[in-house]
Amino acid sequence: MVSLSPERKTALRREMETLLGKGAVLSDPDELLVYESDGLTLFRALADFVTFPQTAEHVAALVRLANREGMPFVARGAGTGLSGGCLPAEGGLVISLMRMNRVLEVDYANQFAVVEPGLVNLHLSWAVGPNGFYYAPDPSSQQACTIGGNIANNSGGPHTLKYGVTTNHVLGLEVVLPDGELMWIGGKTRDPQGYDLTGLFVGSEGTFGIATKIIVRILKKPQSVKTVLAVFDEVDHGSNAVSAIIARGLVPAAMEMIDRLTIEAVEDAFGCGYPRDAAAALLIEVDGIAAGMDEQAARIMEACREAGARDVRVARDAEERELLWKGRKSAFGAYGRVSPAYMVMDGVIPRTKLPYVLRRVNEITAAHGLRVGNVFHAGDGNLHPNILYDPREPGIEARVLAAGGEILKLCAEVGGSISGEHGIGLEKADYMPLIFSGADIDCMRRLKHAFNPSGLCNPGKIFPSRKACGEAGIAYRPHPIEEKGLAQRF
Amino acid sequence: MDAELIRRLAALVGDRHVLTGVECSPYVLEGRTPEAVVFPGTKEEVGRLLAAADAAGIPVTPWGSGTRIAVGMPPARPGLVLSLKRLDRMLEHEPGDLTATAEAGMTLGAFQDALGQRGQWLSLDPPHARQGTLGGVLASNASGPRRHLYGTARDLLIGLTMVLADGSIVHGGGKVVKNVAGYDLPKLAIGSFGTLGVIVEATFKLRPRPDTDRLIVAIFERVKDAGQGVRAIMASDLIPSAVELLDAEAMRALGLGGREGPALLVGLDGLPEQVAWQSVELTRMLAAGARVETWALDGAERDGAWQAVGELSRRAFPEATAVMTWGVLPTQVADLVEHGGDIARRHGLPAAFAAHAGVGIISAVLGSGAEGKIAATTVAATLGDWRALVRDAGGHGMLEWAPLAVKERVPVWEPPGAPFRIMQRIKAELDPNGILNPGRFVGGI
Repeated sequence: MVSLSPERKTALRREMETLLGKGAVLSDPDELLVYESDGLTLFRALADFVTFPQTAEHVAALVRLANREGMPFVARGAGTGLSGGCLPAEGGLVISLMRMNRVLEVDYANQFAVVEPGLVNLHLSWAVGPNGFYYAPDPSSQQACTIGGNIANNSGGPHTLKYGVTTNHVLGLEVVLPDGELMWIGGKTRDPQGYDLTGLFVGSEGTFGIATKIIVRILKKPQSVKTVLAVFDEVDHGSNAVSAIIARGLVPAAMEMIDRLTIEAVEDAFGCGYPRDAAAALLIEVDGIAAGMDEQAARIMEACREAGARDVRVARDAEERELLWKGRKSAFGAYGRVSPAYMVMDGVIPRTKLPYVLRRVNEITAAHGLRVGNVFHAGDGNLHPNILYDPREPGIEARVLAAGGEILKLCAEVGGSISGEHGIGLEKADYMPLIFSGADIDCMRRLKHAFNPSGLCNPGKIFPSRKACGEAGIAYRPHPIEEKGLAQRF
Repeated sequence: MDAELIRRLAALVGDRHVLTGVECSPYVLEGRTPEAVVFPGTKEEVGRLLAAADAAGIPVTPWGSGTRIAVGMPPARPGLVLSLKRLDRMLEHEPGDLTATAEAGMTLGAFQDALGQRGQWLSLDPPHARQGTLGGVLASNASGPRRHLYGTARDLLIGLTMVLADGSIVHGGGKVVKNVAGYDLPKLAIGSFGTLGVIVEATFKLRPRPDTDRLIVAIFERVKDAGQGVRAIMASDLIPSAVELLDAEAMRALGLGGREGPALLVGLDGLPEQVAWQSVELTRMLAAGARVETWALDGAERDGAWQAVGELSRRAFPEATAVMTWGVLPTQVADLVEHGGDIARRHGLPAAFAAHAGVGIISAVLGSGAEGKIAATTVAATLGDWRALVRDAGGHGMLEWAPLAVKERVPVWEPPGAPFRIMQRIKAELDPNGILNPGRFVGGI
């Protein structure tokens, strides 16, 4: 933990301003408040400095300064993360990449782009869109989240069912390592020699260094897209339809489910055209060449009907398609209509276990006297149960966390994972033992040590507290950084 | 290695599962005979063997079916070969989840057969696609033509169990297709050539087998025209599963008929409607740019042609002298193939080229010509020029196969550059005594 005298703090601030220029360093508590949490407001932690570098050399200089001072540092993008991953858990320096947001190079013939980490995900698709290209990973926060943040979390999105997650689209990275050295790993050509440091870096949640340039694949926009909406009176029927579609040898681009509570919230907020009385709706998209598109849609509709769908139809036009997607992608925001707060879970299960797990999720939350809305990537079994609650109700947060813990345990029991795309961060660190053995975690610690031997780069993330290793507990307990008074859980 | 240690190893796996002395001859590598070959039957036995070897400081070379065992420098010192042959079972295949888990010694052929019975496949088609083991394919990051659409092991491996040098059994990833919990150990294992741990189990993401699968052959006048064809395909709405560019020499080796000349081999799969439309569109598009002869292959002819592409290094010449793999930008492929051929000719050697043209991976095969044996210095000089050519283009070259006399003159790997220090630290963390395949990998790791 950093403990700086006011004089030292002023001196450091001046030094950083010399490096970065005026207006690129924040250190007043009022200004720092904006950066005390990410999209998961359950955790808060205050930095000593928030800085806004504009070049890779700036980032390297800041990291070297932090090393010299023994000060923890963490990179931050748009702050849309959902696991507390970019929080300055032990104080110190936040390195915001938001001013490094340019598209540096686009090579359409070789289908890649070189971008800076602060570039907003959707802005890349906008930049290459006029030439008929797009960037495939599409997290629901893509209007705000940055490519650099996507690298840290190996972000997914609805269309990852067919196109893969962030790691499948990254060819190379320029990185500032935790000791301040700037270097390239990977590159524009495939199969670089040596260990796949790029593959290891993506999804390392900011603990292996800071990406300052990113080479991503860009894809040709598909010739044709069809979106099918299937409406179910039973959640089970919707779950079964997912398996039935897969069993017919189809790999849709996306297969998303939303349940009744979510439909109500979305319809209240946006009026997207989902039937309010349905138990669940499946949004299924196929894309590719136009030939055979009708056949694919027909097979999907048939599978849905056989699974018990009440109504199945193809979106009439681009407008209806966009409205349905708006409902899906804005669902999290829409929960505000039905609840003052919610906690989003991110468990993954084998998709054949969907009916069982969804039933159990409802039972678990009901047993804790809580409501849950489900909106998730059904095609790849990535659940997002959203536990709704009113934070003004005394003691409710412990119940929310307990229910959340039981849901993660359930995902682990059926052979799944505790995070599909949001990351472990602070939030799920103590649940790691649910799916990883002591030996597994020790191996990961060794890898962390190889990149980040001082531990100054994004401390307090991913790894469970020693206590949690023994018990794999699911009950609420204070996170180690809370116990140390470094961060608070609200 | 003393007899006592061999007795101890034998006790761990059973006498029947150890080879020593002359019995080790099938496992001779670059003229070096291992002191013993052990065949563990479980991952726990792998753990105990590695722990014993680690304690004794004996090098260990993990061995699948040996199809790519010659990649890399020879082992720094003789030791133990650890065969995964007995770890060959399918552990779990849930068609509804499109995932399967198997032991690392299972051959890719056996794996595909089992998946095929349920209408699915692992979309990976490396050379030796039948004999290669899952562990070997992963450790050597082997891939084939269909990586154009379906990617490589790094896009398909979702979970992994590996035994580290100290004998600990570690897992990374999981059994679900989407998972960001923990560091991506599967990525680290892929292409690590057995230097970080012994892969014992792997879980893959699968695909449904396509209804229709077709290969379109298009013969061009010049390599340059074939390169233009690749550009046209990449810029079009077509979604081919493979785009292979072959020079005239490689096409001769394949013996697919048609007139002489460089060619594109384009894979199209999916619904019958998709394949039919793409076949017509592709033929129309390619004919627009140059004089071209195209035809389609289906069924056994198609499978035979793809297999032949994978066997190019053995088929191209009576006696291949070296094989190099280049990684370049897709738009550079045709040019580099032409220049690579010129360079070989200048050295008086024939060469054949096959490229995964859409992703920029070129297999360059050097022949021995009419006079038979060629001096290692000539081969080395040619390879040196090839590497300079590729490096100047911003790419990298890897010596996939060559006689030891050549490897002693031409490095197998590129100099690893700045990231090497991180690679060394990873190696030191996971294999501190350096017993796993020492000296064979990048930078002498």
